Amino acid sequence: MKNILVVDLAEKTHHDEQIDRDLAREYIGGSGLAARLLYHQITPEMDPLGPENPLLFLAGPVVGTSLPSAGRCSVSARSPLTGLWGESNTGGFIGPEMRFAGYDGVLLSGASDIPCWISIIDGDVKIHPAEELWGQDTYQTQDSIREILRDPKARIACIGAAGENQVKMAGIINDHGRAAGRTGMGAVMGSKKLKAIAFRGTGKVPLADPDEYKQAVAEILNVVKEDIAAQALRLAGTAGYVDMGSMFGDMPAGYYQLGEWEESSHLSGVRMTEEFLNRGVACYRCPIVCGRETHTLKYKLDVMDGPEYETVAAFGSLALVDDLEGVIYAGHLCNRHGLDTISTGSTIALACDLFEKGVITSKDTGGLEIRFGDVELSHQLIEQIAHREGFGDLLAEGSAALAVHFGVPEMAATVRKLEIPMHDARSFSGMAPVYALSPRGACHLQGDMYGVDTGQGPATELGILPGDRFENSEEKGRIAARAQAWRSIYNALTVCHFMNPGASRIQRALNAATGWDYSLDDLLLAGKRIFTVKRMLNLKLGSNAEDDRLPEFMLKSFPAGGTTGFVPDLKILLRGAYLEHGWGPVSGLPSPDTLKAYGLDFTIPDLP
Amino acid sequence: MAYKFPSDEWIKALRDMLNASESYQRSAKDWEGDFLFIAEPDDAYPETAYLHLQLYHGSCPGAAMMDLDDLPETEYTINAPFTTWRKVIDGKLDPIQGMMTGQLKLKGNLMKIMRYPKAAQEIVACCAKIPTEW
Repeated sequence: MKNILVVDLAEKTHHDEQIDRDLAREYIGGSGLAARLLYHQITPEMDPLGPENPLLFLAGPVVGTSLPSAGRCSVSARSPLTGLWGESNTGGFIGPEMRFAGYDGVLLSGASDIPCWISIIDGDVKIHPAEELWGQDTYQTQDSIREILRDPKARIACIGAAGENQVKMAGIINDHGRAAGRTGMGAVMGSKKLKAIAFRGTGKVPLADPDEYKQAVAEILNVVKEDIAAQALRLAGTAGYVDMGSMFGDMPAGYYQLGEWEESSHLSGVRMTEEFLNRGVACYRCPIVCGRETHTLKYKLDVMDGPEYETVAAFGSLALVDDLEGVIYAGHLCNRHGLDTISTGSTIALACDLFEKGVITSKDTGGLEIRFGDVELSHQLIEQIAHREGFGDLLAEGSAALAVHFGVPEMAATVRKLEIPMHDARSFSGMAPVYALSPRGACHLQGDMYGVDTGQGPATELGILPGDRFENSEEKGRIAARAQAWRSIYNALTVCHFMNPGASRIQRALNAATGWDYSLDDLLLAGKRIFTVKRMLNLKLGSNAEDDRLPEFMLKSFPAGGTTGFVPDLKILLRGAYLEHGWGPVSGLPSPDTLKAYGLDFTIPDLP
Repeated sequence: MAYKFPSDEWIKALRDMLNASESYQRSAKDWEGDFLFIAEPDDAYPETAYLHLQLYHGSCPGAAMMDLDDLPETEYTINAPFTTWRKVIDGKLDPIQGMMTGQLKLKGNLMKIMRYPKAAQEIVACCAKIPTEW
């Protein structure tokens, strides 16, 4: 990790900055290093949609190498949706291409006075006017820029109507329909009037020990190819989890208020493969190929992206929709306009819940009857949200704001104002502390205990052991915290969570790539350091341990289904997680000694 | 009465248990595909045992412990050491966890079986109800 391109969009200038070697080693890259680099730049006074909010694209140190599934890129800023630390990461090819073009990251500051886009081609940086691109959808934008550059291999990260209109749940889209979806990074890009960044490069990523790396990668490839979870992902995509998730009661239905919903089987990834699949789509050097390219006769489209599990559940079971074709189209519309499918689907499902319960009426919605089970309505609302039209203008602020607007904040399924993903913590107790502590708000990518407890790639060498999914104990909380630290490493490496060869093999590859000498203990410590620096950032931004909670209605048991009678004991689980992170078991606050042990002395003044 | 695992009596007890299970019948109502469970020798059991289970549309028409020479063609096989089977049957190892972590090795059409996790769960639930002698 060497080089960041810094672009001042207000002044239309740019320069290169070297990444401090010690910081790179301690925070690795991706969202870990981003949190450290942006720690002092992000302040409580800052408007997330103001020019002062820095937006940082940052890859990890193994991105663009021969390591399988190492093609992701992190995007970070203060989130306009939550007001807190925002991060999202995307697959495809954008991360590798950025490094081939000569940069490990791109830091965007200021805001342009006119719409613009940036090209970065083998180190040559140009800022272009984008008046003609402004208003195009994400697919058109990618095609247009490739045409302008006369390079079909250029990789483009861009925003659609949602980002342009600063919709709080706007994401950034690349490689057709890959998305850095969560926490509104597309809105930040839109606030800077930056339509797109195009990357093209022919460089190579240097390796400290190429021979050792080659052996480490070969070993990892063999393990990944034998992994039954990876095989299932290849066959049916992430939506292949639908049937198993429903059985566990993990796939939420009726805005998290139904314990079972048999119709969810209509949304199965196996069915998608059998009826709507064109082909599997892989990210950079990924043997798993979980991506989907689909078609639909009903909506007359030959080529559409995905959808993956989260989208299927968010627009499907969560809204009591069992029309898979309609759900596929909803995902397509979100990609086209650059919307996070989790937050968008969940906000629409909340609107359905509010309407069904009489909290809102058609007088509030511009005449719309917003009821569960109506996927065409979801399509209409997606358009309204992306363009901030009618009732969509309110939905565009996200679930937490919607619920507050109508005086029922307790009805929003959010943590730290981020919509809860499509895994129910009543199904896997370890997900309760994961959601409650996730630094970007409720997130399944900051510790996947549903994966750990189903045996999908647990890093057993780090004490992340599969166990009873209904266990309420401090030890389960500790395992969840270790899983958070481990996935913090993944998000810093910017590698895919589906590539799970075990911690030792990842450690070997990392050391061979960088020349570092990480032990497994060092890796776990780095994960905790990264997780804690984000915690401190959020403390600085006004979020404290009182926000370590789940909505009350999601802590009520179901009388039937895959979780019958069970609720996670958040108090005891949190205590274990706090202890594992080295935070006060009651206060949830890192002590000055812990911060010093993590090398986070600079954050001590931000302790309350 | 307890049934020794592995034995012909044990697998037939599982057959009877499945045929009496409404929830298995419901969750496997469209299922077609036989299973061969192979218990591999380890310190606790010295031989390889082959247990054949016929499964068709929510019922189990037949079950038998087989000799290697008489094995029928089956759509699925699951291999594991004897002690791992014991953990599954005793409810100490979740079978999905077992498969994902490679302790139970499944061969067969993965995509087809992904549609029927509940049926698989019901089979294991029935196994756990059989009074078993080790």
